Amino acid sequence: MIQVSTQEMAEERRGMPASFAHPSEEEFARWLDFYGVHWRYESVCFALAWDEDGRVTESFTPDFYLPDFDLYGELTTMKQRLVTPKNRKLRKMRELYPDIRIKVLYRKDVQTLLFKFGIVA
Amino acid sequence: MRDSRSAELSPQVGTVVLTEQEIQRRVAGLADEISQDYEGREILAVAVLKGALPFAVDLVRRLSVPAELEMLGISRYQSSGREKTVRIVRDLEEQPTGRDVLIVEDIVDTGLTLHYLTAVLRRRAPASIRTVTLLDRPELRLADIRPDYVGFSVSEAFLVGYGLDYRERFRGLPYIAELIL
Repeated sequence: MIQVSTQEMAEERRGMPASFAHPSEEEFARWLDFYGVHWRYESVCFALAWDEDGRVTESFTPDFYLPDFDLYGELTTMKQRLVTPKNRKLRKMRELYPDIRIKVLYRKDVQTLLFKFGIVA
Repeated sequence: MRDSRSAELSPQVGTVVLTEQEIQRRVAGLADEISQDYEGREILAVAVLKGALPFAVDLVRRLSVPAELEMLGISRYQSSGREKTVRIVRDLEEQPTGRDVLIVEDIVDTGLTLHYLTAVLRRRAPASIRTVTLLDRPELRLADIRPDYVGFSVSEAFLVGYGLDYRERFRGLPYIAELIL
């Protein structure tokens, strides 16, 4: 497996990192903390394509890694019609890294979770 | 993103997803299945408050094996809430040690609640633990957990009725419907 760690020293965290890309990710992290589930934020970048010199030309960094379940999680709040490029990357990732478990939570799924949290997105 | 507590919302019950008859028929089917599996044993049914209560009551009523109904309450995650960690807020009156425990849930989606409850109850040394949920939303599953008995698989985002609430409303509906926000 070829992967590039973006945070070589990333540790399992139960505190908030400096910043999340989206408020829903921060809410998700708080909720994981609530259940005592360990998580790492954007800790691993998976290489998806390389040029002839071996340089990575395309990569994918899942939002979360949950070591308790050995599961990567990707939250997307984009409208379904805008998800296509991300889905293409996910397909590629699954082809290149078939043993990696990744759960994608789409806009509707994220809304469902936020609804549970008492938030209307 | 807005906090529902400050939002001016007038939610309405929308399309009925499961009618009262469909629910009761399935509950009866689950009770038959569970009764067969527990033949000769006594069940300690643990309803997870508050959502699972209507389902648990109807289920236990239809079991043909002896069953005791207990209730367990856990803290609920709320955005900006005071509770920082999940914990038991209402414990069992009857301890499950050596008992055949059946956790009764209204809905399982990410599986984190069920994962937590199973871990907590397992520490109390029951003879066995199984889980039954009326509704299952497996596409949201994060925890590596699978309920032993499932009433219905659902995909709708916002559901209310038959125990499921929105800000404590709609639990008393005899059917399950989508909520229009």
